[in-house]
Amino acid sequence: MKKVVLLCCCLLFSIAGFSQTAAVKGIISSGTDKRPIIGAAISVKGTKLSTVTANDGTFSITIPGQTATLIFRSIGFLTKEIQVTANQSVDIVLMEDVSQLNDVVVVGYSSKKQSELTSAVAVVSAEKLKDVTANNVGTMLQGKVAGLQVVNSSGAPGSAPEIRLRGVSSVNANQSPLIVVDGVIGGNYDPNDVESITVLKDAGATSLYGSQANAGVIIVTTKSAKPGNTKFEFKATSGFRTADFGKMNLMNSNELYDYQKEFYRDYIVGATDNSYKIDLIKFYAERPLDLRNQDYDWSKESFKPAAINNFYLSASGATEKNNYYIGASYYNEKGTFLNTGFQRINLRANSTYHFSKKLSVTNNINLSASTGKSYDYNDIYYAFLNLPWDNPYDENGGAVYVDGNSAFKWWSRDKVNPIHTVQNSEHPYKGFDVNYDFALNYNITNWLTFSSTNRVSAAFNKATNFFSPLVAGTYHNTGYIDELNTLNYGGISNNLLKFNFKFGDHSVSGLAGVAFEGGQTEYSGGSGKGLPEGLKVLNVVSNSQLVNGYNDKRYLQSLLSQVNYNYKSRYFLSGSFRVDGSSAFPEENRYAPFPSVSGAWLMSNEDFMKDSRVIDNLKFRLSYGITGTQDIGSSRYLGLYSLTTQYNSLIGAVPYQLASPQLTWESKHQINAGVDIGLFKRLNLTLDVYRNNTKDLLLQVSQPLSVGFETKWENAGNVVNKGIELGLNSTNIKTTDFEWSSDFTINFNSNKLYGLPSDIVKTGAWSISQIYRNGGDLYEFYMPKWLGVNSQTGAPLWEKQNKDNQGNIVSTEATSNYAEATIQESGSALPKYQGGFNNSFKYKNFGLRVSTYFNYGNKVYSNNLRFMMNDGHEPYYNQIRLPDDAKIWSQPGDTEATEPSPQNSANSTETSTRYLRDGSYFTIRNIALNYSLPTAFVNRMHFQAITVGITADNVVTFSKFLGQDPQTTITAGSFATPGVSDFKYPNNRQYLLTVNFNF
Amino acid sequence: MKKSISTIFILLLISASSCKNLNVEPSDAISTNTLVTTLDGLTNALNGSYALMKDHISFNGSIDQNNMYLRQFFQLSDFASDDIVCGQITEDPFFASFSLDHSPAQANTRYYWYVSYKIINGLNTVIDAVEKSGATDAKRQQLLGECYFLRAFCHFNLVRLFGKPYSADPASPGIILRTSVTEESKKARATVAEVYASVLTDAEKAASLMTISRGVQYASKEAAWALLSRVNLYKEDNQKAIDYANLVINSGKFTLETASTYPSLFANAQTAKETIFCVAFTEVDDYGKFGSIASMIYSDGNSGWGEEYASSSLRGLMASHPEDVRWSYIVPLKDGSGTVQKKNGIEVYYISKFSFQAGRPNLSSPIMFRLSEMYLNKAEAEAKMNNAGLALDDVDMIRKNRGLETALYNKVVPSGSTALDAVLNERRMELAFEGHRTYDVFRNKRQLNKTYWGYHLRGLKETDVDLSKSPSGYPNMVVDYTNPRVIYYLPVDEVLSNPLAIQNP
Repeated sequence: MKKVVLLCCCLLFSIAGFSQTAAVKGIISSGTDKRPIIGAAISVKGTKLSTVTANDGTFSITIPGQTATLIFRSIGFLTKEIQVTANQSVDIVLMEDVSQLNDVVVVGYSSKKQSELTSAVAVVSAEKLKDVTANNVGTMLQGKVAGLQVVNSSGAPGSAPEIRLRGVSSVNANQSPLIVVDGVIGGNYDPNDVESITVLKDAGATSLYGSQANAGVIIVTTKSAKPGNTKFEFKATSGFRTADFGKMNLMNSNELYDYQKEFYRDYIVGATDNSYKIDLIKFYAERPLDLRNQDYDWSKESFKPAAINNFYLSASGATEKNNYYIGASYYNEKGTFLNTGFQRINLRANSTYHFSKKLSVTNNINLSASTGKSYDYNDIYYAFLNLPWDNPYDENGGAVYVDGNSAFKWWSRDKVNPIHTVQNSEHPYKGFDVNYDFALNYNITNWLTFSSTNRVSAAFNKATNFFSPLVAGTYHNTGYIDELNTLNYGGISNNLLKFNFKFGDHSVSGLAGVAFEGGQTEYSGGSGKGLPEGLKVLNVVSNSQLVNGYNDKRYLQSLLSQVNYNYKSRYFLSGSFRVDGSSAFPEENRYAPFPSVSGAWLMSNEDFMKDSRVIDNLKFRLSYGITGTQDIGSSRYLGLYSLTTQYNSLIGAVPYQLASPQLTWESKHQINAGVDIGLFKRLNLTLDVYRNNTKDLLLQVSQPLSVGFETKWENAGNVVNKGIELGLNSTNIKTTDFEWSSDFTINFNSNKLYGLPSDIVKTGAWSISQIYRNGGDLYEFYMPKWLGVNSQTGAPLWEKQNKDNQGNIVSTEATSNYAEATIQESGSALPKYQGGFNNSFKYKNFGLRVSTYFNYGNKVYSNNLRFMMNDGHEPYYNQIRLPDDAKIWSQPGDTEATEPSPQNSANSTETSTRYLRDGSYFTIRNIALNYSLPTAFVNRMHFQAITVGITADNVVTFSKFLGQDPQTTITAGSFATPGVSDFKYPNNRQYLLTVNFNF
Repeated sequence: MKKSISTIFILLLISASSCKNLNVEPSDAISTNTLVTTLDGLTNALNGSYALMKDHISFNGSIDQNNMYLRQFFQLSDFASDDIVCGQITEDPFFASFSLDHSPAQANTRYYWYVSYKIINGLNTVIDAVEKSGATDAKRQQLLGECYFLRAFCHFNLVRLFGKPYSADPASPGIILRTSVTEESKKARATVAEVYASVLTDAEKAASLMTISRGVQYASKEAAWALLSRVNLYKEDNQKAIDYANLVINSGKFTLETASTYPSLFANAQTAKETIFCVAFTEVDDYGKFGSIASMIYSDGNSGWGEEYASSSLRGLMASHPEDVRWSYIVPLKDGSGTVQKKNGIEVYYISKFSFQAGRPNLSSPIMFRLSEMYLNKAEAEAKMNNAGLALDDVDMIRKNRGLETALYNKVVPSGSTALDAVLNERRMELAFEGHRTYDVFRNKRQLNKTYWGYHLRGLKETDVDLSKSPSGYPNMVVDYTNPRVIYYLPVDEVLSNPLAIQNP
């Protein structure tokens, strides 16, 4: 193995030899594990003489004269100086530098010591991430960073969560934080390769990313070698997952049978001879008793426990000249839904070669390939809604074929067997992704460095939908296939001069430079019908052939600069300035400046506090800055005709976009004040308050539809996000054998819109609307208010507001006429607060970590209930088990009824607050138990460490929400309204066994 | 070594500092200003206007397969009529046309309104460019004529759906007229009379400009005349309705299908003898179950939802003449024993007027105008001008070609009935499911009688259906022309962003 790794390194670089004659000899080892430190630097103070330790930690160095002071340095260890005499032999023990304050934090274009930070920055180490096994870091970050909202809105294999930092501050622009990998915007990585994650939260830190940092920045740093022997790590994770249906418990055969009796109540609205009794004779005639014996659980048949496996192998090592890390991982996740899954292979090679003291070159390559099988929404829809009275299988155990011509009785609303469809269709996808980073650092003088970081990247993705001619439904006998290929490529180049000097108590550092980003996406695809059975490529389609394809380009060029100053490491001041030019805007608005200024006072470094036994860290921070948004897609300012259609096989041009020649940047003005407190060397507390005002929102302003356009891009309105954010970590108990520590994060956020030219109502699928109004929240639901059931008639009731001429509500009344019901603001899809509470316990070799996450105060529209609590509107859809306090109206005077009479339920399932539910929840996100095998035993087997762990994810969720899952999308999109829960791929419970070897 | 490093160094600096041109043009769109400068561009824009009648375009951030100009038009028109019965309660907004539980937030009226005005906006851009260019060549005149025709057609369809019948109240609010590229986006509704005047002006202009025959897939002089005949009939300018109908009939370009060819008319609209103007769908426009016009009213077992059927009311009218070839478009779904199957208690009689182009169950090129309507327009106008004999002759002209040679009126008005009744009954049978019925009832100030079993009856459950008797006690079974719900609410989007547009009561 070692040889392979070495060989890999040799491919990249040739290793230069080194040796010197001796005067002082010795060995350097680590104070922590007593192992020799490789590549530690030894220099003679006041001279240029230096050397490094060899692979066994030994060194020898010539000293001028009889005595000298030697300086021993190694990254991650405290520097040590000692006096030596000629021919002395010394044993040096370097202590690991555990002080968090001196941790180097990667803050984008540069690194700073934690103590030097002037802005709101949170760091999450790999240690705290690794309890969760997932294909993305987002899932791992849930509940671990104050202000970071992570929503796992889909449990589909390979799906990534939605991430928001400090609320939602834009309407039409991208809301996800900018991901920066190894100092370059964007990029691909495997979660196993992650060394640390830094979250930049305020403009003091993010303004340097200018127009791309509106939603915050998440900086991912991949692993690099620590000094020492070549180290190997192998990790194997295996387990399984099951679908988590939340509170969506569907009726079984008996429950449905009894429920359907309600449909036979003798009640015709308006008739005088109603008996309000259930007509059992008619019922038994139409619902034979033996239906009770036909009980098929469609969702159980469609969602089955699925295996998950993750293997990871890495090697890393460092010598004086060369520093490398190689990681390989394989991730395989089967989906709980039939015929779905995801797998991915990732290879990463990071290396830095020091040509000289002045010049180092870093080459990082990340290759990944993924493949998977997606699903069709309709199949999941029917897996929930088909009736338990229908058997999915025929007598031979195969999925039964059913269509409109089938002669046998099929109770479900639509003659569709999703299991048969799944068996005769597939939705595979593949992806291939390459990132190559090239970085060059050249120390021009001892205070000035030229740094160039560059990346070229290319990704190719292919998605296919295939239906065999055997499938029932619209593609029966013809079959269907479509393919979409997406090629994405681009480059980024950052070229910076960085300076860093000290004079007396003053330190100044900073950078200035240029950056360029460009990218192109090319789409192409085709589809067709008329496939021969058994074949599934585009070549064999015989009719209805369609092709499509288009390209998209975007460019951004920037100037950036930053200056940091500190006095006596007590007073810190930082300023940055960036100018971005974006191809998204018309020529005259193309460039925009993004300045920031931030400062901090590290009070605990003042003389009067230095010796405090209580407070070991006290820092006040303040920042102000502007970030922007340009990520709305290309050419939004042009008046356009789209040429994508045809009429009678001739080119057709269709009005596509209204011109908006004044379109310009959306800018977010951010103020942040924070304090960091460290007490008793046990408790660390970070508190931030912020106010972010996003001005000139890039908004699709509603037009009267009679102009032929829905919207026009304009800069209109503002949104203000205000919030408080608290991060706490404490070591509650620490003894030799036992340690208990806790992390707690919470973020209160409120958002308000103002300055809009007029109210904007966005109506999505199923006529579920949200209103954008001055003084209102983003994603505020706008619908009639449900008032329950009229106890005399059993009809649904909504609130009708009577208003005077000024629009003031003078009175309200209940109406059973849906068209009369007043549409009103009904709460936002965004939470009032959310956070996490994590505890970790260590006892001897055992470790236990329990992570929880909570989210409070948002509304979720449980759209599934429209189908699953439908008052007999759709009698042949299966229904949800009604909550215990629910009661269907049975006769006049039934004041306890909560659900309308199936005989008098006109419009009862129309959009109203009936299905709008409290989306608050508290979840035990993860429990991880691990055990490190005794060192002595492990060493005998020639390992450094072996750890065995078991984890359980999504253990339990506490919520009042009625429906599939309160974790619901907060991203507006095609057929997706933020806060609307629809039939979705359920989230997973996950149980894993992990074995970790270090050697 | 040093040299190569400094070379890299310099190269990087150069590459970084070279300013990139930040102009990016879209790859599949063209700027409006460029488009209108060429005849090709203008022709593409005109084609686009036709295409918008059949395409599903993005609305509210989604491309919803339900959303198609023609699909919505037929559903909004005929699902409200007594020709089609609802066999299944559904969450689809077209259900409101059956139940009359209209709402300004209905997705189908919103889309229909939106796409109509998108077509009109595109037409106005072309009209403006051609007229400003001063070009008078035949090609550009034809192009201009087609634009005027389509604008009239779209405005007219809008006013039928959102404005009261002209005969009922010409001074009532109609729709927003868009006839210029420069006007304010906020604009009040024109009256029904003003809309009719504008439609007639546009259509007349269209008839005078068009001289080239590009096939029935495109507008033509005759199509403009046919539109003029229809609009004048609605306006009860009866002589003009007759005159324009005669212009079409006498143009010699169209002949009535016969009893033997009629059953294949709708599958072959583009080549049929009777078609004056149809919207061309080609093979790639076969939208299948989720997006076609046919899928709601027909299914071969897999091709569609097949949830709405020919009503017992219409079938009752036709029942005395099983030999009528118009039965060929009403397809009962029978089980092995020949019994008509039921869905949710309602007998399944599929409708096949939008099926079987190229043999495909979901493909047709819907006919907007055909010759038999001209005879029936004429007949109705004649009846109203008290020329019962002439009216019934025109009706017989149709009946002769539909297998009813033995059941002609021969100028005799049936007892207990009027010539107008006979004309309207014939019109109902002949033009069933083609988007005429509701307008024909209400503009003649009549009532729509939906006293039959179907899910337009509020709260009806399958168990309530008893085909041996008529339903009773349900609201909205009979709809008078004065009922405010004979037309739809303006879309909520228009009312919110255009305060000048006053909502319908």
